[in-house]
Amino acid sequence: MGNPLRTAQDRRLPRIPEPCALVIFGVTGDLSRKKLIPAVYDLANRGLLPPGFVVLGFARRDWGDGDFESLAYEAAKKGARTPWREDVWQRLASQFQFIPGSFDDDTAFDTLASTLDELRERNGIAGNAAFYFSIPPAAFPLVLNQLNRTGMADNAKSGGWRRVVVEKPFGNDLQTAMALNKLVDEVFTPQDVFRIDHYLGKETVQNILALRFANSLFEPVWNSKYVDSVQITMAEDVGIGTRAAFYDSAGAARDVLQNHLLQLLALVGMEEPTSFDPNEIRAEKLKVLKAISLPQNIAEGSVRGQYLQGWVAGERAVGYLEEKGVPAESTTETYVAVRLGIQNRRWAGVPFFVRVGKRMPRRVTEIAILFKRAPHLPFDPADVEMLGNNQLVIRVQPDEGVVLKFGSKVPGTTMEVRDIAMDFQYGEAFTESSPEAYERLVLDVLVGDRTLFPDAAEVEQSWRVIDPLEEAWAGTGPERYRAGEWGPRASDEMLAREGRAWRRA
Amino acid sequence: MIGLWDTTGNEVVKALAAERRSAGGVASGLALTLVAVVEEKKVREAEAAATIAAAAHPCRLLIVVRSDLEGRSRLDAEIVVGGRLGPAEAVVMRMYGRLALHAESVVMPLLAPDVPVVTWWHQSPPDMIANDFLGVVADRRITDSALAPDPVAALRQRAADYAPGDTDLTWTRITLWRTLVAGAFDTTEERVTGATIVAPPNDPTAALMKGWLQSRLHIEPAWEPTDRAPRMKSVQLQCANGDCVTVTREEGTALFSRTGQEDRYMPLPKRPVGDELAEELRRLDPDQIYGEALGAMAGVTGLEQRPSMRVHVWKDPAQAARAGDETGAFAGPGGSAA
Repeated sequence: MGNPLRTAQDRRLPRIPEPCALVIFGVTGDLSRKKLIPAVYDLANRGLLPPGFVVLGFARRDWGDGDFESLAYEAAKKGARTPWREDVWQRLASQFQFIPGSFDDDTAFDTLASTLDELRERNGIAGNAAFYFSIPPAAFPLVLNQLNRTGMADNAKSGGWRRVVVEKPFGNDLQTAMALNKLVDEVFTPQDVFRIDHYLGKETVQNILALRFANSLFEPVWNSKYVDSVQITMAEDVGIGTRAAFYDSAGAARDVLQNHLLQLLALVGMEEPTSFDPNEIRAEKLKVLKAISLPQNIAEGSVRGQYLQGWVAGERAVGYLEEKGVPAESTTETYVAVRLGIQNRRWAGVPFFVRVGKRMPRRVTEIAILFKRAPHLPFDPADVEMLGNNQLVIRVQPDEGVVLKFGSKVPGTTMEVRDIAMDFQYGEAFTESSPEAYERLVLDVLVGDRTLFPDAAEVEQSWRVIDPLEEAWAGTGPERYRAGEWGPRASDEMLAREGRAWRRA
Repeated sequence: MIGLWDTTGNEVVKALAAERRSAGGVASGLALTLVAVVEEKKVREAEAAATIAAAAHPCRLLIVVRSDLEGRSRLDAEIVVGGRLGPAEAVVMRMYGRLALHAESVVMPLLAPDVPVVTWWHQSPPDMIANDFLGVVADRRITDSALAPDPVAALRQRAADYAPGDTDLTWTRITLWRTLVAGAFDTTEERVTGATIVAPPNDPTAALMKGWLQSRLHIEPAWEPTDRAPRMKSVQLQCANGDCVTVTREEGTALFSRTGQEDRYMPLPKRPVGDELAEELRRLDPDQIYGEALGAMAGVTGLEQRPSMRVHVWKDPAQAARAGDETGAFAGPGGSAA
């Protein structure tokens, strides 16, 4: 029958999850402190959490509820996006509970299971719980087996829904990804598995779908007839920080190309879904991912780079090999540029240049659609010297927005034409009020909306793109670039060979 | 900021264009024009609220203050782009004398091209919106019945005068309440058989809450008047199986109790007017649910079927004062420029 107080037309009422618990494994870790706990606070502050909502923190330290509470307090206060309100926190914190234990500790998991059962009585939670894996992938099998053993992952047994949230990396190649997917899907049911790619939680990324499918202006030119090439850039000014152990075994391609960038490419390249149903969107994304083609000669069509020491934003930066925890002879890439294609009628012949790097001059993520030049220019060649390709640029971060670049006459007596930019910004203040990616995604998990979460098939298909690259790169060393540069020279040469150039992002 | 004293509409248009140029591309993406009709002593309040709302909805803000209708016609304007009013570009206009009755002659050329117009009265709402051209030109009209001397009567008048696209901020004020109450029925299939609202007798938000429950649940909620609380105190719903759900306001929180379960506290903060305004600006289409609740509350049906366009009805307060009500009003889009 449904809730008579809710109708589709009443768009003021927000979506609020059913009463449920959020179990965070690795609650004392970085991600949990920087993103998850603040996101939970912000949700509570916006009144989007159900009555009786409980957070159960699971981690290895021998802490009592009190220590955990002060850690959570610090984390929430530091990371909160919305104004701090002590009473909201007090109420939320009273429903925080810490369960100490290691992942091979049977009694700890039994305690967790019985705590969840008690909530049925105490908090009116009819068995709903989401398990958030904020832990290294190596620990996944252990925890999954524990959840399986105690029956905590079983929807029928618990009487509500049991969902699991997994962070990247989803494996480190196709085989490990498949093994991981199999394991998770066996313990939970496949539709209860939420793989977080926080890029998809960003407003601008979701706006790609609105831009493409809500307008009639762009669709007619969104194909190989009008598009010359597409450049997708994700540049970070920071180095690898404290992630040396993970990063050195993965590299830029596995770390972000496999997930964030291929997801962006899929959203730009996909066909229109028949509806905004999660399954329909995933089906279309999967089709594009399957149509991705690699360069025929990977050595020519891709560039790996590794940063040397240099200066970034007025500060000295050490080289990758001097970073703490990185072996001196490491050949791991911190930069990768690759020329991909999409083999379908819409995109045949249009190169998709994808690049990602650390220690670039500035932090920027953007998608640039470069259009072909007009087939004929009835101007004096000298007058259109400054006219470039028309461009549509979707800036994902920072300064979220959309820029359209086209030629315009320079005021004066000559017919001089030059590029100008029409700029749509979500604006400084606009983004302030838009929720953090994690806030949105945690809420989606609790509500059960899978639209923004890639499924197992997408993850595996993405690895089918990465694996051949990694194979071809095996045994080769990366090109070097100075920290604070836009990547190695070989990358510029790769585009120059076909008469193109990277857009200065 | 530019201040213009004893000026003309054309001067204001030119000055705004000049300010925009010198500020660079500050406000390149305007989502709407917000016309705020404000009385002099509430100008600061309206500016503060509009600044908050403009942060979420880049807009051109036109504040119209009408005063001293008896005096000489005169226009003073203040133009602020990207300054103290946040990301909005704003024009604060003070109109005196007969000009105040023809405010639209100054406002119309200032409306941003091809984006929706929202008119917001931050003062006691007009009896008939059709009498105020600034309301007629708007796609969305926002009143605030709480600012009227008799809020509940003002709300009834809103129902009588309703056209799709109207909303009242007293409705916005109960969004959080409605969220809590609606949330209680997400997990149960129980039929609701009765409701009790405890609120002061002149509380317009309680009136709308009653109307909403009435229109959605087809029940006749009881209103238990109280003078111990300044605003709506609690809403209780009785279910067919005898269960009760009660939401009670305690300062900034709500006590949520339900038969057979432990009591819980949920946040129920009092939001600044700016937040409420921002919520209104999020949707520029008619709010059907509000229309239904308002209709149920005032006992008027068929609100949704009314035309959403209004035709201006000229009404001269000076004439009305001289000759009484009947001869003072005559229809016509342009009216008489007496």
